[in-house]
Amino acid sequence: MNSLDVISVNIWQIIISLANLVVLFFIFKKLLFKPVKNILAKREAEVMAEYDKATQATSDANELKASWEEKIKTADDKADEIIKAAVEKADHRSEVMLYESREKAESIIRKAKADAERERIEAQETIKQEIVGVSAAISEQIIGREINMNDHKVLIDSFIDNMENA
Amino acid sequence: MSILFLILSILPIIAGVAIKVLFIPASEGISVTGAHIFFTIDLPMGGLPITEAQVNSWLVVISLFFFCLFLTHGLKTKNISKRQVVAEWIVEKVEGLVRSNMGEFFMGFAPFICAILGLSAFSSLQSLFGLYAATSDINVIAGWSVMVFFLITYYKLKAGPLVYFKGFAEPVAFFAPINVVSEFATPFSMTFRHYGNVLSGSIISVLIATGLGGLSKIVFQWLPGKIGELELFRIGLPAVFSIYFDIFSGCLQAFIFAMLTMLYVSGGFPEEEYYKRKARKMAKQSN
Repeated sequence: MNSLDVISVNIWQIIISLANLVVLFFIFKKLLFKPVKNILAKREAEVMAEYDKATQATSDANELKASWEEKIKTADDKADEIIKAAVEKADHRSEVMLYESREKAESIIRKAKADAERERIEAQETIKQEIVGVSAAISEQIIGREINMNDHKVLIDSFIDNMENA
Repeated sequence: MSILFLILSILPIIAGVAIKVLFIPASEGISVTGAHIFFTIDLPMGGLPITEAQVNSWLVVISLFFFCLFLTHGLKTKNISKRQVVAEWIVEKVEGLVRSNMGEFFMGFAPFICAILGLSAFSSLQSLFGLYAATSDINVIAGWSVMVFFLITYYKLKAGPLVYFKGFAEPVAFFAPINVVSEFATPFSMTFRHYGNVLSGSIISVLIATGLGGLSKIVFQWLPGKIGELELFRIGLPAVFSIYFDIFSGCLQAFIFAMLTMLYVSGGFPEEEYYKRKARKMAKQSN
């Protein structure tokens, strides 16, 4: 019979079978596990990179958002400040203007008063002169003689003063 | 390209069938024999007969080689093909199996376990094509078991020979001879379990087929002419039994062999002593 017995142990066949298993082990290691694990690692790396990118983008967006919020907040503050400053300025200016106008008015009044005073004095002076002239003329006519203007000036003045005081 | 690899991975099986048809005479009646011997190479210790089992296991290796190429060429990270899904599924399943049974330290065993599973399962499944299943030859399984035995011993020796020999005296020194016997019994038990199951499966398949033939002769005797000579029970029924004895049993034995390999190798590895020894060595080196 040209075949083995059902149980026939042959050392060479055992060794060959062992070698077959080792060869297949290397085949699987090099041709199946290595490339598949490589591709899995690569994919994982890619996924991680994508995740990193996403996290980076989120944090960037958050940063941007925060900065804009900050800016808006400061803008509000700034606007408040500007308004406040403008109001203050306006207040100040109006005060100054008020003060100035009051001053002006006062000075005008003062000037007017002074003018009036001066005119009054002038008028008084004129009236005095006229009174002196008239009284001299009247006295001349009454007394009948010429009154020496200069002699009687003192007299007349005192008279007018008395009139004034009276 | 992928079609080429697929064809190349199927071709060995066709070649196996062709070799069987061309060189092996059809057996008549019931005969339970070992593998057919093509020729014998003269070597010491009984010479090397090149048998059907040997050739068929080589054909499985070649077939799996091209199948790997078929699965893994043109791998991508995006828009993966079905081939890649299968490849990743195989790798992840085997790695998960190894991780859960052996732990992280033995992750390098994943391709080895995959090789055992693939070689054993496909060798058993060869019988579906009418080929002689390589796993029903004791020498084939014995080779794998010897390999596993080497691995067990290698990892047991990792913690130093002292720990290894001390391990035989557990739990008491009295048990040492028994432990030695059980140590060497491991590869034998693995061999006979696998080989015996596959061989018995194929023997039972032959017996069922023959028995059904005889049965149908008795039952359908009364049918006239040629129809009575047809063995009607042999149509279909043996295939049903073959599903259990060839497919289920073949895959189950492959799985059992792989599981036992993982358990023996990782179970025999004295992890604590190994790390202690490593630490001692590191300390010595730094001194």
